[in-house]
Amino acid sequence: MSAAAPAAAQPATPLLAVESLDVVLGRGWRATRVLRGVDLAIEPGEIVGLVGETGSGKTTLARTVLGLVSPAGGRVVFEGTPVSALRGGALRAERRRGHLQLVFQDPLRSLDPDMTVIDIVAEGIRLQGETDRSVIRQRVLGALEKVGLDASVLPRTPGQISGGQRQRVSIARALATEPRLLICDEPVSALDASNRNYILRLLSQLRTALGLSIVIISHDLSSLAGIADRVAVLYRGRIVEDGPVDQVFAAPRHPYTALLMASAPSVRHDRELSPQQVTRTVAEAVALPADLLDSFEDPDACVFATRCAFAAAPCAAQPPLVPAGERHRVACHRHAEWMTLARARTADGRTTEGQLS
Amino acid sequence: MTIDNLKSPDLAAPGLTAASRPATALSPDASEVLRLDDLHISVHDGAALAVRGVSLSIRAGEVVGLVGESGSGKTLTCRAALGVLPAGVAVEQGSLSFAGHDLTTLSRRGWESLHGNHIGAVFQDPASYLNPSITVGNQLAEVLRVKLGLSRRAARQRSIELFTSVGLHHPEQVFHQIPAELSGGMLQRVMIAIAICCDPQLLVADEATTALDVTIQAEVIELLRQLREQRGLAVLFVSHDLAVISELCDRVVVFYAGEVVESGPAEEIIERPRHPYTQALLRVASVGDFRRRELQVIGGQPPQVGAEITGCRFAERCPAATAKCRAGDIPPVSVGAQHQVRCVRVHEPQVAGELAAR
Repeated sequence: MSAAAPAAAQPATPLLAVESLDVVLGRGWRATRVLRGVDLAIEPGEIVGLVGETGSGKTTLARTVLGLVSPAGGRVVFEGTPVSALRGGALRAERRRGHLQLVFQDPLRSLDPDMTVIDIVAEGIRLQGETDRSVIRQRVLGALEKVGLDASVLPRTPGQISGGQRQRVSIARALATEPRLLICDEPVSALDASNRNYILRLLSQLRTALGLSIVIISHDLSSLAGIADRVAVLYRGRIVEDGPVDQVFAAPRHPYTALLMASAPSVRHDRELSPQQVTRTVAEAVALPADLLDSFEDPDACVFATRCAFAAAPCAAQPPLVPAGERHRVACHRHAEWMTLARARTADGRTTEGQLS
Repeated sequence: MTIDNLKSPDLAAPGLTAASRPATALSPDASEVLRLDDLHISVHDGAALAVRGVSLSIRAGEVVGLVGESGSGKTLTCRAALGVLPAGVAVEQGSLSFAGHDLTTLSRRGWESLHGNHIGAVFQDPASYLNPSITVGNQLAEVLRVKLGLSRRAARQRSIELFTSVGLHHPEQVFHQIPAELSGGMLQRVMIAIAICCDPQLLVADEATTALDVTIQAEVIELLRQLREQRGLAVLFVSHDLAVISELCDRVVVFYAGEVVESGPAEEIIERPRHPYTQALLRVASVGDFRRRELQVIGGQPPQVGAEITGCRFAERCPAATAKCRAGDIPPVSVGAQHQVRCVRVHEPQVAGELAAR
């Protein structure tokens, strides 16, 4: 499988297609639209990064793809099968295949503290219908070997191994059913810098060795830049920008992507923009007409308009995702001009030349 | 050392900023807030030494960062500075002083008078330190009433001022909200407001930004920077991420397996790290590099807490280790103004080459 060069050939059907997905959580007055019209395709052998802040819907998107949440609109198609429409026996049969797997954020909380490593990793294999104990043991050892662990961890419980090892067990558990797509929800945010890079490198090696597709949910843009092929930026339930990782990070087309990059801690202090250059200051908010400010609060307004320094009258309507380069899309009315305006602002957010339109 | 000494008028005067406080006569360096000397901390009821001979000092208005992997002793060190070591953990040796007053043998009561009034603290997960069923405003007002003896009305007034000063919008509304109604970033601001409400000279921030989103993390770092400038607040900032440390700190103290392996001015350490461990940490830090690159790891695992190792504790993982490194105790070597490194090969020019060749 030519997994290492995913951009080279574009297959006719993606491995996973998420089509205009709407997800509503809660009922009645509590109902919240968590995802709004999300479109995303994952090609075989591709690593896609999903970034955004808390509450942007990253985890809900992962859970919907896995069928743990049912969508209010749109669909999820995995290997040509619309999995979001499956019910009852067909859904259970699809889940038992284990072709889609999830790695959770905090292995200490997602792994059963009373189970031994061998039982944790074997669970999915048993669910697939395998009963021969020696075969199960072989497959468990095989999965552990892929993540760089040996038989010595088999009889231990999650509490008896280190944090980095726990996350590797968590990945081995997911790999045991030989998945085609691995979704990792913040796989490294509970780890220190060295272990973080170790796990990310491991995921990258697994992609090459097994031809896996991997979705990595993270808010650490800098480490995604090290391994992802593409990145999708979510803000309040919408994809605001997606594209090849080097293009997106070299020249972000959405102010929110620029804000994320400007906020990332760095040892170099050589950022192009400061966070204040792309977000609206309190003084600017006060200076705006009240009805314009109110229009940004509208549910149909651009999701970023409430914080964006460049929001203007058209931003009262959510912009569609439009092409901004090869396989690069952005949802911003002012994607062509905000960068110039941002550069004209001082580092603490004041406009130096002219006024904001 | 009695509690009365601590309550000397120059220390206890509320409302004065640290910068305008008269200097304490007892202190060797007038502006020195916290000083740790040769601190040893044992865990498991004295069975193992988790912190070995840590010395550091913080002056007023200075931000000192402690950095290291999990289990390196940075959190225990800052808990000792707060006098809140967990059960089974004790200071074995060394001394701790605050504004010239010795704290090593301070009683529980003594610590209580120090907390809030002189030292504030913020931790990683703000939600777990706040009472979920009491409004955040009342939790702040309670501290003001107990610590400063303010009236109900005055405490409320001051709370709202404090909420404004930590950058919470609509402070009157926030006052009446319970923790579950606020976001993680807002809760951390509430925690910071509580920590600074009695105008302490020192703020201890243990992984205070680790669980936050990058955008919120940047805002909290900016807030700490402002507090330092406006109030002359000294900050002891603990993080495992050298990039976060370098955003905020004046000086950096690098911990490895319970020891300080390098300490010095932040800029110098980021530009020219001298200890192989600091260099390794810098390679794995989120450098703010958005280009495709090889993600580096530090090979091997840190030693078990309390492991008895002759010589350099990093030698097993160090690419430049020689027999000399394992021969005996390694004292810190001065390599610049206030810059110390615990490495026997620090003056050998070829070491840098060996490390770069990796």
